[in-house]
This record gives sequence, C-alpha cells and structure tokens, in this order.
Amino acid sequence: MTMTAPETGAAPKSQAQTRTSNLPTPPSPWRRTTRSLATFVKRSPMSAFWGLVALAIVLTAVAAPVLAPYDPLKSNFRAMTKPPSANNYFGTDQIGRDTLSRVIWGSRTSLTVAFFAVLLGTTLGALWGLACGFFGGRFDIASQRAIEFMQSFPDLVLAMAIAMALGAGTGTVIVAIAITRIPFGGRVVRSVALSLKELPFVEAARGLGASNMRLMFRHILPQCVAPFLILATTHLGVAIIIEASLGFLGVGIPPPTPTWGNMLSDALNSGLVPPWWLVLFPGLAITITVLAFNLLGDGIRDLLDPRLRGSV
Amino acid sequence: MFSYIMRRLMFGAVTVVGVSIVVFVVMRILPGDPLVAIFGPEGFTKLSDQERAHYMAQLGLSDPLWLQYVHWVQDIARGDLGRSFFRSESVAEMILRRGPLTAQIALLSVLFSWLVGIPVAIVSALRPNSWADNLVRLTSVLFLAVPGFWLGMLIVLTLLFTFGYRAPLTGASLFTDPWTTLQMVIGPAIVLGLGQGAYIARMARSSLLEVVREDYVRTARAKGLNSRLVIAFHALPNALLPVITLSGVLFGFVLAGSIPVERAFGTPGLGNAMYIAVSERDVFVMQNLVFLYAVVFVLLNILIDIIIAWLDPRIRLR
Repeated sequence: MTMTAPETGAAPKSQAQTRTSNLPTPPSPWRRTTRSLATFVKRSPMSAFWGLVALAIVLTAVAAPVLAPYDPLKSNFRAMTKPPSANNYFGTDQIGRDTLSRVIWGSRTSLTVAFFAVLLGTTLGALWGLACGFFGGRFDIASQRAIEFMQSFPDLVLAMAIAMALGAGTGTVIVAIAITRIPFGGRVVRSVALSLKELPFVEAARGLGASNMRLMFRHILPQCVAPFLILATTHLGVAIIIEASLGFLGVGIPPPTPTWGNMLSDALNSGLVPPWWLVLFPGLAITITVLAFNLLGDGIRDLLDPRLRGSV
Repeated sequence: MFSYIMRRLMFGAVTVVGVSIVVFVVMRILPGDPLVAIFGPEGFTKLSDQERAHYMAQLGLSDPLWLQYVHWVQDIARGDLGRSFFRSESVAEMILRRGPLTAQIALLSVLFSWLVGIPVAIVSALRPNSWADNLVRLTSVLFLAVPGFWLGMLIVLTLLFTFGYRAPLTGASLFTDPWTTLQMVIGPAIVLGLGQGAYIARMARSSLLEVVREDYVRTARAKGLNSRLVIAFHALPNALLPVITLSGVLFGFVLAGSIPVERAFGTPGLGNAMYIAVSERDVFVMQNLVFLYAVVFVLLNILIDIIIAWLDPRIRLR
C-alpha cells in the first residue's frame, strides 16, 4: 500500500543491476512487491490514486479517536441543529452532536462491518465452492441448487430478513451481509477448482499419494487466491452500501453508534425537512468510500487477471 | 420453444419451493425469538411464562416446525397472507394497494435506464478512449457508488429549497389521477434508473465493443453500408442480448433498492411497507413480503430467460 514516488523510481534501477550481473539472482520478496506496485501505479494511475484514497479512509477509521474533534456520542445542548461553522465544520445534529466526528467514527463502523462481512462471506463461499468443484457429483448438484435458492433473493431483502430475525447488533449485521456474499465466492472458486482438478499437476500429486485434503488445500487452493482477492475487493463497496441501507432502514447497528446509514435515518426522522448538512456529509462519505474501493478493485482485477480488463 | 418454456417453468417451481424453505428457515428457525421481535427485549422480559406460552400457541408457534411450514404454505396457496399485528388491513390488501406504485416505479426506472444507458454506451463504444468515452465511464463508475436513497434525499431537499415543491404523499391510482401518480413515481424511478443506467451503459459498451469486431459486422461494412446503419441494425441487436439479461437481474435489484429509496421520498409503495414491517418487527408480514419479493425475482428471471431464448435461436434450439 506504500505507493510513493521514490519506490517508483527505484524499480528500473534494480532491473539494471540484475542485468549487469552474470547470474541473475531472483529478486527479493520486498523488491518484487515494490516492483509490482510500481507497475500498478504506471499501468493504472487512476486506480493507484483511488487506492491512496481508500488507504486514507482506512487510516481515518483506525485513527478515529485522534482525528475526531468531539465525542461522537456527546450532545451539546447549546449547539443543536447548527449549520456548518468554524466550531463544527459539518454542523451539529438535533441533539447537538458534532457531525464531522460522527462521520469519522462512522467510517470505523462501516469499514469494520464491510471488511469482516466480505472476509467471512467470500471465505465460506470459497471453501464451499472449492469442495463443490473438487468433489463434484451429488454434493455439487445439491450445493448448486442451494446457492441458486440463496441467489433468488435481492441482496438487500435477504440481508434485511436475516438482520431482523437475528436482532440488532454489529455481529448480526456482519453475518447478514456475509450470507449474501456466499454465492459469489462459491461460484467463482468452484469454476476455478473445476478447471484445475483435471490438470496434470494435480494428477501427479494424486499419483504420489496425496490425500484429498492435501490436494485441495496445498495444490488447488493457492491457485484460487487471485480470483478470491479480486472478488473480495469488488464486493467491499457493495457491502458498504448494504450496511448503509440496513442502517437507513433501522435494521443495522442500533443507535447511538454512529454509522453513515443511521445518520441519514436520524436526519430523516428529525422532522419534515431534514437539515441539509445532516444529509449531505454522511452520504458523501458513503459515495467516496464506495468509489475508492470499487476503483481499487478494478485496478487489482486488471493487474491480477488481464483477461478480464474492460469487462463489467 | 414450448419444451424450453416448460423446462424453465419446472425449474422455477423447484426454485420457488427452495426459496420458501429459505424464507422459513431465516424467519422462524434462526435464533431470534419471534416474541422478542414483537414485544421488544424489554417487553419480552416483562411477560410471564404463561403469557409467553399463550402468545406462542395463539400465533401457531408451538406447533412442530414442519407443521408450521405446512400451515404457512397452505395459507399462501389459499391467498391468505395474514394480518399485521399493528394494522387492520390484511397483507394481501396492502400488497394490492401498494404494489402497483412500486411496480410503476420499477418499470419506469428500467425504461429510464435504457433511455440513458444505451445511447451513452453507443457513443462510448464508437470511439473507445475518446474524451466522451472517458467521461461516460467516469460517470457510470460514479453512479455505481452513489447510494440511491441518499440521492433521493438530496433531490427531495433541493426541490423543496429551490421550488418549495414536494411530491404528493398520499395515494392515487394510475387510472383516476395519472398526474399525481406520476409525480409520486418519477423521483424514485429516476434515482433507481440512474443507478441501473450505469450498469447498463457499462455492459452495453463492452458488449458492443466485442460485437463490432465480429466478421459479419466487417462484412456489412465491406459491402458499403453506412456505418450508422451497421451499428443500428447489425451490431446493436446482438449486443443487446447480454444487456437484456442484465436488465432482468437489475429489475430484481430495483425492487430491493426501492425499499430505502421509497423511504427517502416518502412514497407509499410496497418498499415503504417493507420498511414499516421491519421497523415494527412484524415478523409475519415480513416473512410474506420477503417471499413475495423472492418469487417476483424468480419469475422475472424466468421471463428474461424466455425472452432471450425467443430472441436468440442458439439458446432455443440447444
């Protein structure tokens, strides 16, 4: 994630050094990383820029307690529903809480939920898909059916139903979003596993007496990492939007925890006409975050799998 | 074609059964107590054991699970979708009253997404990497990221501040008062249409770029046809097939997306009913609404598959 100018400049020099020596030594892992980062920046400067934005948002979420000027939960009854000013850059809400602080803390909730939901959902899906692709047969047919049933719901509807059935809380929101991500991981990894298991290297390992477990996890799974990463980054944005929608619909993380969805919901509940600053800033935060993760995801996809470049 | 449709419908029936099981599992078996959902955690602790047993029996929740499932399916088959705990209107009546509004929003937004997405994609695909193409791609990426309900809130606020205008909030039917209905429907439709339009534009662009490279398009050009005619009558029809499929999937997502968007606009459609059911923790209404959404989604996919098979003999004759 450290895409700074000196590293970009360092990459060509190191190439020159390897060429002059008689025996080309394989590049160290560190150098390989910086070099691939340099290619990333060169090939898609847009994605690199948005990658930096995404990094900044992640840092904001991590450093929320330091960055936020006020306590996001503390009301100041002398400054209620105040428009943006020098004291509160983003204004205050109906009970005098600082909007900027709440937006900053909201990034923490949003990113935590999105990250763990995608990690949990796509990993479960990937393992399931791996087993489906590897074993095939009846297990695969039954699983494909089950996945089809899960995909017969629009994401948000399924997430709403699960979040409501489980009751409000951070954990439930993560689980609800994760379950809607399972089919995607399953489909992608299954197709990779299906095509890989017929290849000679798998046959060779089997011939050497490798167990099914070893074949799956040592030989096939590593090949699924690239599609998995692509999938995970592209789904972060979706997860953030679902989380915000759940918050907006009142089945997300319960108030007073500041989340962007909750803030928009509070703004709408505040009266007939919501103050503009309570609407503008949380939504802007969602948009920029989703945009950053989507474009970063596009960039990672182009880098890891050039065949997919330009497709939807 | 007939056998294809029958096969597809049979698969659809299996899917609907599967979907009903998923809905039932999620709403009834997952570890949330329905009484907690109805009375809230505080109200639940105040209930005595007898009261709990009484309510459970009254709601049919003390029956074994398979029996509950059978009862539920029987009720749906009879067209009895139950009643809300909080309102006198039955769920079936509510769906009939609110459904048309949401259906209009969804249809109008699909129309809007095509009207925006397709021309934009053609402009974009004709000159790849031109400034117009880059602008289109940037805008579509932007609209993929903007949450529809937020855009909706901004639109409502802007209209209110600049024109003092607010869309009517109470229902009118399409036939008796089309003008009021249009005002209620147009906002959500535009918001949802823009989001879809971004997907449509991206898909149509990449699909057009692929089709334009095909031999038959080159042949059409080589025999001297005007390049616009080639695009309009040779390339576009084939390029639209994946777009139609995508549009069908998006239709389902619009139904879901209209839940928060209707809340943002205050439109009294089915999405708003879903929001109310969720915020009142009305488990049974929610169960039936979720099932309805899923069934509509499944039916839509079947419809799209049939349309595609009708348009594309390669699929129909396989």
